[in-house]
Amino acid sequence: MKAEAVQTNKTGHFLGGISRLTKNYAVVLAIFILAVIFSLASPYFLTYSNLRNIIQQSTTIAIVVIGQAMIVTTANFDLSLGQNVCVTSCVLAWLIKFGGVNPWVAILITLVVGTSVGVFNGVLVSYGKIPAFIVTLGSQMIARGFAKIITQASPIPGMPEEIQFFGRGVIGSSEYGIPISIVIMIGLYVLIMLIMHYTKFGRSLYAIGGGEEAAYFAGINVKKYKAITFTVAGLLCAVSSVILVTRLDSAALTNGYLYEFDAMIACIIGGISLTGGKGTVLQGLFGAIFLTLFFNGMTMLNVDPFVQDVIKGFVLIGAVVIDVFRNKR
Amino acid sequence: MGNIILSLDGISKSFPGVKALNEVSFEIEEGTVHALVGENGAGKSTLIKILAGIYQPDAGTVTFDGEKVSFRTPYESQCRGISVVHQEMKLSETLSVAENIFLGNLMYKGIRVDWKGMRKKAKELLNQLGTNLDVNEPVANYSIAQKQMIEICKAINHKCRLLIMDEPSATLTEKEQKTMFEIVRKLRANGVTIIYISHRLEEIFDLADNVTVLRDGQHINTLPVSEVDRHTLISMMVGRELVNEYPKEKFEFGETVLEVKNLNRRGVLKDISFSVRKGEIVGIAGLVGSGRTELARALLGIDKIDSGEVLLYGKPIKHNNFRDAIKNGFGLVPESRKTQGVVQLLSVRRNICMVSMDKLAKLCFISNKLEKKYSNEYVEKLDIATPSVETEVQYLSGGNQQKVVIAKWLMKNSDIIVLDEPTRGIDVGSKSEIYLLINDLIRQGKVVIMISSELPEILGMSDKILVMHEGELKGELTREEATQERILEMCV
Repeated sequence: MKAEAVQTNKTGHFLGGISRLTKNYAVVLAIFILAVIFSLASPYFLTYSNLRNIIQQSTTIAIVVIGQAMIVTTANFDLSLGQNVCVTSCVLAWLIKFGGVNPWVAILITLVVGTSVGVFNGVLVSYGKIPAFIVTLGSQMIARGFAKIITQASPIPGMPEEIQFFGRGVIGSSEYGIPISIVIMIGLYVLIMLIMHYTKFGRSLYAIGGGEEAAYFAGINVKKYKAITFTVAGLLCAVSSVILVTRLDSAALTNGYLYEFDAMIACIIGGISLTGGKGTVLQGLFGAIFLTLFFNGMTMLNVDPFVQDVIKGFVLIGAVVIDVFRNKR
Repeated sequence: MGNIILSLDGISKSFPGVKALNEVSFEIEEGTVHALVGENGAGKSTLIKILAGIYQPDAGTVTFDGEKVSFRTPYESQCRGISVVHQEMKLSETLSVAENIFLGNLMYKGIRVDWKGMRKKAKELLNQLGTNLDVNEPVANYSIAQKQMIEICKAINHKCRLLIMDEPSATLTEKEQKTMFEIVRKLRANGVTIIYISHRLEEIFDLADNVTVLRDGQHINTLPVSEVDRHTLISMMVGRELVNEYPKEKFEFGETVLEVKNLNRRGVLKDISFSVRKGEIVGIAGLVGSGRTELARALLGIDKIDSGEVLLYGKPIKHNNFRDAIKNGFGLVPESRKTQGVVQLLSVRRNICMVSMDKLAKLCFISNKLEKKYSNEYVEKLDIATPSVETEVQYLSGGNQQKVVIAKWLMKNSDIIVLDEPTRGIDVGSKSEIYLLINDLIRQGKVVIMISSELPEILGMSDKILVMHEGELKGELTREEATQERILEMCV
C-alpha cells in the first residue's frame, strides 16, 4: 500500500504541479480573464499607460497587503491598517505644512508613528492576549480620531517638490518609464518574500498559523513573532501613506479608507487561507492587482461607484466562500 | 448463536487514492459486546461512519434488525437506534447536562417544553448508569469521563439498540475506566448491542464477547474472544508475527546526567527529587492528573518553579522558558501529538527542521537544500512512511507523525528527551517501532524520561519507574522490583 502511494505520487508529479499552480494562483487566471473582457469592452484598456496606471494605483494597497498577509499567515488579522494609513498620511502632511518640519524628517517621524500603532496592536494581541478583533478595532478608532484632530476634518493639500517623486516619479521617460512607487512595491515584495520563505522568522509564522501550540513546543517564540507581524504591518502602512500622500498631493480623512478590508479581500482572493499557515505574500499581490483591475475596469465601463461598493461586498463574501470550500477538501 | 442484529455484506468504500474498505462482511449478535480492532488505517473509522450515516458505502449491503438499510444522514441512523459515542465528544459545552441529553429530542407538554420532566428523566438515566451528576450544571464543568457518561445517556435516551463506542477509554483514568466498563456491562445486560473500538487489547479480553479484526480495509477474522489469545490477535492485526511487544534493550548505566532536587510548584508539585543516569529510561507512572505532565512542564521551563534545583551534569541550570530548556539540550515529545507535536499543515521537512532552523541558516537564510538533505536522512533513518519529505504531515498515520516529532529532536541533537504519552492512539505495529526508536536514543547516549498511562509500556520499557500521586513522588522502583500491582498500589 505504501509502495502504491509512492507510485501514484510520481506519475502525478507533472499534473500535480500544474494543478497546484492553478489552485494556488487561480487569481492570475482571473486577472487574465478580466483583462480580456475589459480590453474587448474598451480600446484604451490594453495600452501601456493604462496598465501602468492600474499597477501604480494598486501600489499603496499592495504594500498594506504585505502586512495583512503576514498577519493572516499566523491566523490573525488587523482591522486598523486602513486608519493607520490615514493617520500617518495626516501626520506627514501636517508636519510638513504646519509643523515646518523638513520633509525627510517628517517621513521618518511618519514611519515611527505607523510602526508604533503596529507595536501597540502587536503587544496587546500577543502579550496581552486580547483578541485581535477588539484591539485592532479599537486602534482603528483611535487612529481615525487622531487623524480628525490633526486635520480638523479638512484636507491638507500641497506637498513639497523634493518628496513628490515617491508617488509621482518615474524612472525613464515619463511615457514609457517605470514609476518609482512600483519599484518600491516590488522591492518590498521581494524582500518580504525572502524573509517569509527563507528565514527562521518567516517560516515560524507559517508554523504559528498552522498550529500555534506545536510551534511553541518546537521552541518558537510565538509571542514575539506575532507581535513583530503587527509591527511590520504598521511600518508598511506608513510607507504606503508616504506614496499615497505624494501621489494625491494631499492628505485627507479618505486616505486609506477601507484599506484593511481591501487588503483582506486581496489576501483571500489571492488564496491566502484565513485559517492561517498557508499562502504566500505574492498571492496577496495578485489579489490586490485583481481588485484594482476590477474596480478600474468598472469605472471605465461607467458603473456607478455606489454600486461598486455593493459589488465589493459580494466579492469579499464570494472569496471567503471559495476559501471555505478550498479548506474543506 | 443468538439473534443477528447487524450484518454487513460485501461493504466497500473508496476514497481518492485509498480503498478504505474492501468487501467487508461480518455479523454481530444481539446483546453482545463486539470489539473491532485493527491498526490505524485499517478501516475501522470508515466502517463506523457508514453505520452512523456519515458515509455511504460504494457497494455492499447493511442489514439491521433483519431489514436492509442505507443511512443517508446521521439522523436516519439514530432513528433506527444506532448511536455513536465519538472519541471527541460532541456535546454543547455551555448547555446543562439535561439539555445535552435531550438535545434534538426535546420532551413536550402540550406545546410547552417540559423541562421538569426532562430533568427528572435525565436524572433517572444517569442513576441507571450509577452516576450522580447534577443535571442543571453546564457540561463544561465536568471531566472527560463524566462527559462520556452524558454521551452514553444521550445515546440510550435515543432508544439505542446498537451503541458504537470509538476508543472510549483513551483519555480515562484507571478508575474511570472501571466505571465505564461497569456501564457497558449494564447496557449489555439490558439487551443493548455494543461495538467497542480500542487500541488497548487488555480491555477487549476483559469486556468483549466477540472480536472482529480489520487490516488494510479487509476483514481478517471474526471470532469469540475466548478462542483467541493476545499474541494471535496482534499478529492478525499486524499481519506478521510480532515477536516482542516491548523490545527493551539493556544498556550500561553511566554517569548521572540530570538531577532534580526538591522541586516545588505551589499546588501542583511537591518536593520532587530524582535523578537520571546515562543509558537509562526513566518511566513516570501515575493517574491522569497526578502531576506527571506538570512535572515535565516545570522541568522544561514551560511552567515556573517555586523552589528546588535542577542539575545537569552536576551544574545547576535554570529555565525561564521552554527555549532555555531546548538550549540546554532538552527535547519534548508532547502529550497531544496532533496539536502540540506537529504542525499538520506543514510538510514533513518543515516539521523535522522546525527546531533546528538556526543550524540550517547561512547568513540567516535557510538553505532548502540542507533542509531536504537532513530531513531525507531522518525519514530514512527512522523509516518514516511518507511519499516524500514535501508531504504535509496531516496525511501521515499517527505512528509516522510521532516519528516526525522524534526526528525533530534528533535533528536538534537534544540529549534529554521527555516523552509524554509517546504511543497514545498509535497502533500496535507502530508502537513497537517507537520503542525501537527509544532504544536507539539510549544507544546514542541520550537519556529518556517517559510519561505514560499505559502500565505495560512503563513496565516493558523503563529501567527505573517513578510513581506520582497528587503532585508527589510516591516511590521509585527499579525494573526488577516493579509489578503492575505495586505501581497501582502507589498510584492511589
